[in-house]
Amino acid sequence: MLTEFGKIFVFILLAVFFVLIAFFLAKLIRPSRPTREKLETYECGENPEGSPWVRFNLRFYVVALIFIIFDVEVVLLFPWALSYQDYGIYGFLVGIIFLLVLGLGMAYEWRKGDLEWARPKQIPPKLKKIKEELTEAVME
Amino acid sequence: MIPNLSEIFSLTAPEIVIAVTLILVVLVDLIWDKNKVPAMFTAALGLIVAGVVILNGMPETGMIPNNYMVVSDKLGLYFKFIIVLTTLFILLFTYDSKEIIESHLRQGEYYALVYGMVLGMFFLTSAVDLILIYIALELLSLSSYVLAGFSDKETRNSEAAVKYLIYGAISSAFMLFGISLIYGLTGTTNLYGVNEVLSTTVVNIYTLGFAVILIIAGIGYKISAVPFHFWTPDVYEGSPITITAYLSVASKAAGFALLIRFVSITFIDHVKADGEWILNGAFDWQTILIVLALLTMTVGNLSALWQKNIKRLLAYSSVAHAGYILLGVAVLTNLGLVSVMIYFAVYMMMNLGAFYVVMLVANKTGSEHISQFDGIGYTMPYAGVALTIFLVSLTGLPPTAGFIGKLYLFLALLDSNMLMVAFIALLNTVISLYYYVRILKHMYLKNVAEMPEKIETRGYSTVVLSLLVVPVLFFGIYWTPLIDFAKYCVEFVIK
Amino acid sequence: MNLYDIIFYIFAAITVVSGVITVTSKNIIYAAFSLLFTFFGVAGMYVLLGADFISIVQIIVYVGGILILLLFGVMLTNKVTSTDIKSGSVNVLPAVIGVALFAGALISIIIRTKWTETPGEIPLSTAGTLGSVLLNEYVIIFELLAVLLLIALIGAASIARRTKEETN
Repeated sequence: MLTEFGKIFVFILLAVFFVLIAFFLAKLIRPSRPTREKLETYECGENPEGSPWVRFNLRFYVVALIFIIFDVEVVLLFPWALSYQDYGIYGFLVGIIFLLVLGLGMAYEWRKGDLEWARPKQIPPKLKKIKEELTEAVME
Repeated sequence: MIPNLSEIFSLTAPEIVIAVTLILVVLVDLIWDKNKVPAMFTAALGLIVAGVVILNGMPETGMIPNNYMVVSDKLGLYFKFIIVLTTLFILLFTYDSKEIIESHLRQGEYYALVYGMVLGMFFLTSAVDLILIYIALELLSLSSYVLAGFSDKETRNSEAAVKYLIYGAISSAFMLFGISLIYGLTGTTNLYGVNEVLSTTVVNIYTLGFAVILIIAGIGYKISAVPFHFWTPDVYEGSPITITAYLSVASKAAGFALLIRFVSITFIDHVKADGEWILNGAFDWQTILIVLALLTMTVGNLSALWQKNIKRLLAYSSVAHAGYILLGVAVLTNLGLVSVMIYFAVYMMMNLGAFYVVMLVANKTGSEHISQFDGIGYTMPYAGVALTIFLVSLTGLPPTAGFIGKLYLFLALLDSNMLMVAFIALLNTVISLYYYVRILKHMYLKNVAEMPEKIETRGYSTVVLSLLVVPVLFFGIYWTPLIDFAKYCVEFVIK
Repeated sequence: MNLYDIIFYIFAAITVVSGVITVTSKNIIYAAFSLLFTFFGVAGMYVLLGADFISIVQIIVYVGGILILLLFGVMLTNKVTSTDIKSGSVNVLPAVIGVALFAGALISIIIRTKWTETPGEIPLSTAGTLGSVLLNEYVIIFELLAVLLLIALIGAASIARRTKEETN
């Protein structure tokens, strides 16, 4: 009736229910006295500053997009990996062509600079000046 | 167990050429990062090779595939050839397009995405398996969504892309659902297999009808048939003009090829000696296609009457033309098929030409509003004359190629005794005359009092324009080669 | 009602209820998270149908990828502090009629149709079989998918770079 995976899913379901029941029981038993401090965002004991809703860098999105595409690629490679041995060199080549095409995509992203993180320009401190300042301070 | 590779290679030779060129285009663009000329030449070269392969493969077709997903026949090759020609023209246009040239850095992507569209369309014209059809459709759609929003100068670009994406996602979801229903009914996704099941066993007619209507929604979106056309004016207006022209011709050609193949393989019983298709009666194609066609041409023509933007006007005009072509399919005879093929060849030349003139004007004036065309007939004489020829041809008047397209369409309709339908189509042609002539009025009768100042056009533009004007006139006067080629290509594999 | 049916109805309920929440919720974050449960429910149904590989793919790609992307999309928007969806509903009556007709047609079809049934055991694992099908008759599709993914990659990067140029 149930497949092996089905049994695992029953376990997952049970786990979910276990958590839900535990939460529900805790709600019944525990005292509920909310204060302002308790409701604040927990930031390791510090007072939270500003809104957590900051706008994210667009770079994250590009990386996530690339991730999804390679995610799908990996998913397609699983069945191939399980069965290509039965087909000899032909099966191997089919997979290699698939990988090469996507490798080209990777090379494309790399070359076009989509993987580079746009960092603010760092101005290296000029050692000479600091040295001069230091010597001046020492002299004084 | 290994599939017959030589057979696969011979079945998909044009597709393989395109796929290899796609990869080469990306590679070339990676190697010459700043210079976009090599990528363009690779793209053009690949198309020429594909065209040669197609023409070369024409004589030896008609193979019945053993459970492979594609079929190679002259019908598919004909549509592929039209797609190749259209793409070549689009590449020529691109070289002249201000919008694309301005986004210079991403031009390599442009060619790669156009190739993605070509590959999708090629598979659409030859696929005989519903899964491959769906994936090819997605490949085509995905590339065209990005291309519709390619230029970054205007917000209407993004609007076009998003609208196209949303409509496209919904209609392809409908189509996928229809495919799944057909699979549930027949237990196979292969069109020949579906045909066999439909002709040997009794299936629930209503379920099949529902599934087919869902699939028609997917195809109707691609050919912008009413009531699936709502995206057309907005997307055509917002996209770069090269892409608008491309969507209006190539994408439609692929959609029609898919429709014809879907009808002619899945539902056909046999072809009579006089070329009439006898369907297996599982679905009343003729009625639904005629209703769709009449709706499409009428809505398209009536909406075009009010348009002030030339791109929108041409969008509605392309909707109307999809209606005419649908009538050619609805006849369900070989003669109707010939008329569709002729109409497409003609439509390709005149529609591309009209869009090219609009692009030339928009390059100079920065807008496609109809008032920008005031006096164009005097300031850009050659472009004005060319647009006049294309518009006359779009109306379907002699001595242009458009007349031949319409003539064969009406002949096919009369041959099947569809007088009433032919009459409505004729009325529609008369309506369309009004809005085409309105552009002419703007070009020649407005602002004539001022001393016209000539706007210089590049020699390149003149040459490209001539490449389209000459065949439109030539085939309007001497159309035998076109007809012969189309008749030669009426061959599709049925089991 | 055996165990199998009960589990199916649980998954179906999870899918439908969270689907409804996704559509109706005015808070886009809630909508995204209830979509997570829809995906899980669908994955559960795939398991019940014996399609183990598809169900894992559903979780890996949809839950692990697409949903994250969706949340990223929310976080990337300009006015992220007001996550309420601003658009109201228009043309409610025609939409209700249309959807009701469509749903009615669909339900009657699903109930009345005699679907094709292929007898067979539920396979222990479908991934290997899928692989040999992909290598044999579906080999064109397998390679076409690589091109499709390449095009998706190029298109996505192109759009992202376009917006980047705009914001700079």
